[in-house]
Amino acid sequence: MGGSNDESKLIEQSLSGDPEAYAALVHQHQKMIRAVTFRMTGSLDDAEELAQDAFLRAYRQLGSFDGGSKFSTWLCKIAINLSLDWRRRESRRDDIHSKWAADAVSANNPGAGFPDELSRRVQSALNRLPSKQRAAIVLTIYENQSHAEAAKTLGCTEATISWRVFAARQKLKRLLKDLPHE
Amino acid sequence: MNKPELESILIKARLPEIADDSLELFPRRIVARLKHNDLPDHAARNLSPRLAWAFGLMACVVIAIAIGYGHRQMKPELAGPNDSLASAKLIRETLALFPNRVRAIVQDEKGLNLVLSDADEVPASSPLYVRICDGKHCSQFVTFSGQEILVAGQKVTVLADTRGGIIVTGNQFVWANTERTGAGNHFKIEAKNLGAATM
Repeated sequence: MGGSNDESKLIEQSLSGDPEAYAALVHQHQKMIRAVTFRMTGSLDDAEELAQDAFLRAYRQLGSFDGGSKFSTWLCKIAINLSLDWRRRESRRDDIHSKWAADAVSANNPGAGFPDELSRRVQSALNRLPSKQRAAIVLTIYENQSHAEAAKTLGCTEATISWRVFAARQKLKRLLKDLPHE
Repeated sequence: MNKPELESILIKARLPEIADDSLELFPRRIVARLKHNDLPDHAARNLSPRLAWAFGLMACVVIAIAIGYGHRQMKPELAGPNDSLASAKLIRETLALFPNRVRAIVQDEKGLNLVLSDADEVPASSPLYVRICDGKHCSQFVTFSGQEILVAGQKVTVLADTRGGIIVTGNQFVWANTERTGAGNHFKIEAKNLGAATM
């Protein structure tokens, strides 16, 4: 099984119906999952709600975790797919709202808890990417997944991931061109 | 800007800091939801229809008793008009009737409701009294630390620490009696530990 012995033990205990063991797993992985959902939504509230949903879904599906990948990778797959579903629902609900959401970080909520201007600008740029391109960037840049791993996570071909990463980079370069770079 | 330069910028971007109490609270909220609403297939237990009927009947009896106590005002120094939850004796005897099964006793506009667990799994601890008003309606309930219950259509989790702090969390707010901060724009919350008087 992927992951440490302690983690495997916690997974086994969770499968036996021990919620405290699962709480320990949540504690270990919450920062990573909340980071993924935040990068995908650009909103702390939505990110927290999606992270909760991801952990609840993971608990329900824990029996299907076969250890073929790291537990964190498996969790990440659930979180990113929930985030994509969320984006789909949001954009279907109201295009204007989506536009507002994309601008919210930079316009309506200056700072928004970001530690610096660069971080705020990058998230604002990520918000402007199509959600599948954003997911490709989140997985390959922030979760250090290879294109092959990201393809597995998102259920598409490696070539599709490569194209999405390429397209996302082009757009990000345009959006962030005025930032100082080395 | 070339590819390494863009990557360098992306990597440098940091996330907003998540407060320590949020990190502490998050796993407990997940567990609270798992315990009462989101049991997975591999841990779910089915309540037999006969047992369900028995619980339903017992709940009706307790509610009837509770309403009776409410009218009699067992503890005048705590009780107000139509304020059944202020009766320490009502709470004590309800808990005695269903040891480790009472998740909450809720009083709202519809009257008193008893929220019972399927099994003896509610840890013994001091009862906590919580009152939530949303500007139009008020609900009050007695519950225990770690319980998540549905109040006025909203899932609310109540947590208590050993220093007397009580935290009430909903989908869109976190309130603590030690912080004296508001619970969003819509809610006014009061909470107190009922302590040994009801045990």
